[in-house]
Amino acid sequence: MADNHSEEQHHDEQHIGIPGYLGVFAILVVGTVVTYIVALRDLDSVLFHGANTLVALLIAFFKMSCVMLFFMHVRWSPRLVWLSAVGSFFWLAIMFAFTMQDYFTRGSGVFGG
Amino acid sequence: MATHADNSTHEHYHPPGLQHQFEDMKQQEESVSIGMWMFLVQEIMFFGGLFTVYLVFRSRYPMAFAAGSNHLDVVMGFVNTLVLIVSSLTMALTVYFAQKGNRNMQVLLIILTMLFGATFLGVKYIEYSDKYNHGLVPVTGWNRHAKAPAGHEESETAKPCWEVEHGHEEEYINPKGEFQWHDCSLAKKAETEGFLTPAEKIGYYNPATGQIDGNKFRDKVRIYFWIYFAMTGLHALHMIVGLILMTWLLIKAWQGTFSAEYYMPVEMSGLYWHFVDIVWIFLFPLLYLLGRHFIAHGG
Repeated sequence: MADNHSEEQHHDEQHIGIPGYLGVFAILVVGTVVTYIVALRDLDSVLFHGANTLVALLIAFFKMSCVMLFFMHVRWSPRLVWLSAVGSFFWLAIMFAFTMQDYFTRGSGVFGG
Repeated sequence: MATHADNSTHEHYHPPGLQHQFEDMKQQEESVSIGMWMFLVQEIMFFGGLFTVYLVFRSRYPMAFAAGSNHLDVVMGFVNTLVLIVSSLTMALTVYFAQKGNRNMQVLLIILTMLFGATFLGVKYIEYSDKYNHGLVPVTGWNRHAKAPAGHEESETAKPCWEVEHGHEEEYINPKGEFQWHDCSLAKKAETEGFLTPAEKIGYYNPATGQIDGNKFRDKVRIYFWIYFAMTGLHALHMIVGLILMTWLLIKAWQGTFSAEYYMPVEMSGLYWHFVDIVWIFLFPLLYLLGRHFIAHGG
């Protein structure tokens, strides 16, 4: 974040500079490779059922956070942007949760065939 | 546009690109970015509907989804993920150089971003053609030209669900253009190892025979491919819109519109581009990877 580009007069440095961008890029590539390798391992039987899904989603969330914080500059954005970003996932979670509580509590015959 | 008669009485300096309704650039930038974020929030809900559909059906028929996932070309999906990540990097750098007022680097990086975006769509086209040639379009009537039924390449080890009359592969015809799927090995595997979900225990079986019914399993795989085409199709549509946006941005950057004081169009186009990248970050594992370990691990 700390940068000594003297030509930048108008704004505070609201980005991580070229080395930072390359670093985030490297993290994203590594994340992609790890997702792929992990997907071929049978974590379900090693850890617990659904472990493969959980790990894949955790990596995806981590990659998304990197993109949002640094590429999309949320890290330096006003509070309202933070609220929008976090709030949208909150609403998404409500949609998932309420939909699934419906389907999980139905008899299997209702929507089973 | 209103006249600037009012403003002319003021002494203060107006930066280029400042609209008259805003006090200063900072206020304009905040308004612009919050407007863009509101748009992105509704985009998240837009894709969220499809992710909900995915969640509902995958939680019910994980084996049918695994079968579909395993049929997708993971190398192409992987390459496309990398292509999008690189395009996100070039987009982020475009914003960086726009803030520096470096016109040449902006133009170069926008062109690179567009090239990567076009590469993504090209790979997607190859993948869609492959699905089309294998009769995997989940719309009856659209598979009349399927060259071979799906699952025939990988079915050397897998048992077909029902008695396929061998020797008919060459003159394979599909007069009604129905969705094609002949491989039920994953349902059989889950049955043998006892991890079918309650929905699968009903959804895959023929109630009369008590056996796994190839037609019923095929219909569940068809749901997967419907979701695959809907989600990747909507994503590809966003890529096309992104490319149109980039074309406009390229012209603007070429004209030297952007500077350290006025770069928000670049920043906002970047937000959109990164959002489309984020959607793919989730689509890649959900559509291509999950369920692959069933087969990769000595399936």
